[in-house]
Amino acid sequence: MMRMIFLAAAVALVAAPVAAEPKVGQPAPNFQLTDANGKRVSLNGFRGKTVVLEWNNPECPFVKKHYDSGNMQKAQARATADGAVWLTINSSAAGKQGYMAPAAAKAFAAKQASKRSAYLLDPSGRVGKLYGAKTTPHMYIINPKGTLTYIGGIDNKPSPNPADIATARNHVLAALTEMKAGKGVSVATSRPYGCAVKYAG
Amino acid sequence: MILRAFRTLFAVVLLSWGLGGGGVAFARAAPSLSSVTERHMAIRLVAESDAPRPGSAVDLAFRMVPEPGWHGYWKNPGDSGLEPAIEWQLPPGVTVGEFQYPVPHRLIVGGLMNYVYEGPYALLAKVSLAPDLAPGTRLPLRGKFDYLVCTKEVCVPESANVALELVVGAGTVDAARRADFDGFRRALPQPLGVTAKYQAEGELFRLGVPLPADAAVGDAYFYPLTDGAIDYAAEQKVGRNGDWLIVEAKSGSSMPESVAGVLQLGDRGLALVAQPGPVAAPTEAVAASGSSSATAGVLGILLAALVGGLLLNIMPCVFPILSLKALSLAKGGGEEMAVRRDALAYTGGAVLTCVTLGALVLALRAGGTAAGWAFQLQDPRVILLLLLLVLAIALNFAGLFELPSLAWGDKLSRRSGTAGAFWTGGLAAFVATPCTGPFMASALGAALILPPAIALTVFAMLGLGLALPFLLIGFVPALRRKLPKPGPWMGTFRRMLSIPMFLTALALAWVLGRQAGVGGMTIGLAAALAAGLSLWWLGASRGRAPAWARLAPAALALVLAVVVLPTDGVATAAPSSLASEPFSEPTLSAHLAQGKPVFAYFTADWCITCKVNEKAVLERPAVAQAFARNDVAVLVGDWTNGEPEIGRFLEKHGRSGVPLYLFYPANGTPKTLPQLLTISQVVSTVEKGS
Repeated sequence: MMRMIFLAAAVALVAAPVAAEPKVGQPAPNFQLTDANGKRVSLNGFRGKTVVLEWNNPECPFVKKHYDSGNMQKAQARATADGAVWLTINSSAAGKQGYMAPAAAKAFAAKQASKRSAYLLDPSGRVGKLYGAKTTPHMYIINPKGTLTYIGGIDNKPSPNPADIATARNHVLAALTEMKAGKGVSVATSRPYGCAVKYAG
Repeated sequence: MILRAFRTLFAVVLLSWGLGGGGVAFARAAPSLSSVTERHMAIRLVAESDAPRPGSAVDLAFRMVPEPGWHGYWKNPGDSGLEPAIEWQLPPGVTVGEFQYPVPHRLIVGGLMNYVYEGPYALLAKVSLAPDLAPGTRLPLRGKFDYLVCTKEVCVPESANVALELVVGAGTVDAARRADFDGFRRALPQPLGVTAKYQAEGELFRLGVPLPADAAVGDAYFYPLTDGAIDYAAEQKVGRNGDWLIVEAKSGSSMPESVAGVLQLGDRGLALVAQPGPVAAPTEAVAASGSSSATAGVLGILLAALVGGLLLNIMPCVFPILSLKALSLAKGGGEEMAVRRDALAYTGGAVLTCVTLGALVLALRAGGTAAGWAFQLQDPRVILLLLLLVLAIALNFAGLFELPSLAWGDKLSRRSGTAGAFWTGGLAAFVATPCTGPFMASALGAALILPPAIALTVFAMLGLGLALPFLLIGFVPALRRKLPKPGPWMGTFRRMLSIPMFLTALALAWVLGRQAGVGGMTIGLAAALAAGLSLWWLGASRGRAPAWARLAPAALALVLAVVVLPTDGVATAAPSSLASEPFSEPTLSAHLAQGKPVFAYFTADWCITCKVNEKAVLERPAVAQAFARNDVAVLVGDWTNGEPEIGRFLEKHGRSGVPLYLFYPANGTPKTLPQLLTISQVVSTVEKGS
């Protein structure tokens, strides 16, 4: 029976064409999502600015590590102060961990002190899958020309322990600093770590 | 699947046993961890020996029991998750090695791959003691163990303070503890021993693993340890090309310099490292669960069933039903809605009847499996059954005999309207069994060896194929007048169909010969002859004596053949010119005590180096003669399934895997031969030492 389920799954996988996930150096695919305040946000609307995408599930222990310690908010403040746009995206499907109905999302985003530009809701997982987002957090940086310059983890210490933040290299801040100085991103990819994005199914 | 379930059960039994058996030793050791009630993973730290010798290494097991519905992670957790980590606080003179992980399994959640353990498992680590530790020294091992435990919905990072106290001693191992650890070690992957190759071209990652062409593969999957090489969630295709097993997967985001991982083959795993290099495309697909090659195979079978069902329509006893219906439709004209409803009802009847027949066959099969029959093509008895079945079909097609026709059901099918159409469909599939039988039998043959759900689908497709023409004429009115008329051409066609059936029987006889040797094939052909004569008799005396009486000789021949047929196939017991006996340490000691020289070698079906050495050197007459001349006893240790006793012996000789070649002279020190043998070297070693 398990074998059959596997087969069915395999057939389903074959049947649903999987679009290739974008890689560093490739154009970031456009998307439109509704933010916690009900506003439509389009990626292409930020052309000319550096954009950071952060996959988020507020209930994930790895996300909590970076929010409860203030690490993520600090990165958001620094990035946006430098003129970057910071989009936090929640791809949890309805009924899954971290999912919030629009009203709850609005209350949540208002309560959480953060310098992010928008908290976007992607309950269908369409944008998460478009970018190949696998974990929370999973970070992407897009340069003003719309090209992906970084894909990976928030830092190089894959652990749930907030004590590790002090000694970790924040890949996102490092990349933003390098981009601002006109240099290439030295660590352009890393392995993301965290909870699985809670897609439907 | 059954094996895996059995293994899980085995693990549970071992575990519960260990919990009781290890209790005494455990009382002496410090409590393994501070108990935190909300933990989702029970962890117990156990050493194989509580009193290890100075200078030795002893296995340490982290026995992990996730709560039902929860899972722990492999070293490479997959798309998300985290590898466990430990920070040790160790006394001087003690070091602990890296974790050794059992072969994990796959869990796909929301399209993301997780490499996990969903049942009890054990992580092993080697504790090494310095040689200068004095006996009686207490060795408290303490560690902070961090791991992630998840359900399909939530993940919880947990931390456990583990502790265990060992006392330097004589290295005694309690028998129950040894059995536990043997179970844990059995679950670890075995080192492949040779380097694999990989290449990445665009989206396609291809891994080539040297593996003897005749090694059983089973359910194959490559678990990569190196991140970035492949897309974890994408399906893998497994194929073979001679002495290579080929795994094709979707390339990952980056291409590392070398790719390490574990190749799962059925119930075991092989640890390997692949270097870049050209890898040929597979020439033969391996049906692995979840792989598209299996899907393709299944689709092929389903398509064949559909075509088979379609062919049923021109069988002499079905075609009249169909043309009758078609005619009535053509005449009736007018009401298209009713026509379509009839067509659908007919289809429903045909499919339902076929599925019912299939379910019956599966129920019989389940009974057989419960009785210990293994319906596998590796079993020559199953091949023999298929041979006789196919032969009977061929003879029926050729017109040697007819099966008695069933007449009831006619009344039902005459009922007009939708119900009538439904029963006509059922009738076409079932009441017309005399000529649908042969095709049903082919489906039956497939049903015996396929997973139940697929087998049922095969039957459903057969029914759908049968109903397809009627469905078409129901929905495409123009076709109604174009149907060919029933006539003698149908008989000719049926006879022609016997040709491929006879050819299939021939191929099966060849397979039987390969599996059971000339003797086995002769028995099979004799059974075929008996069946043929018996069916001839049945055909010749149609309608005079009851059919079962005339089928009795055929049935008897079949039963006799199945009983007599040698079942250990030639393919599994390859003829070796080397007389040998299975390796065990007592056997080795016994031979040495008798003053006999011993050549002991350790091999595995999946070890290509071993097989090359055996074919090119050990099975050569020159070597066999040298062994015979010097009265050398040959012991073979088969490590295919990770036999723990052999594993320990290998380890004692500083090897983590096979091959290993040892020569024990009658008196003198044993000699380890290199991993690549030559005839002259083996012969001279034997001559010198005896």
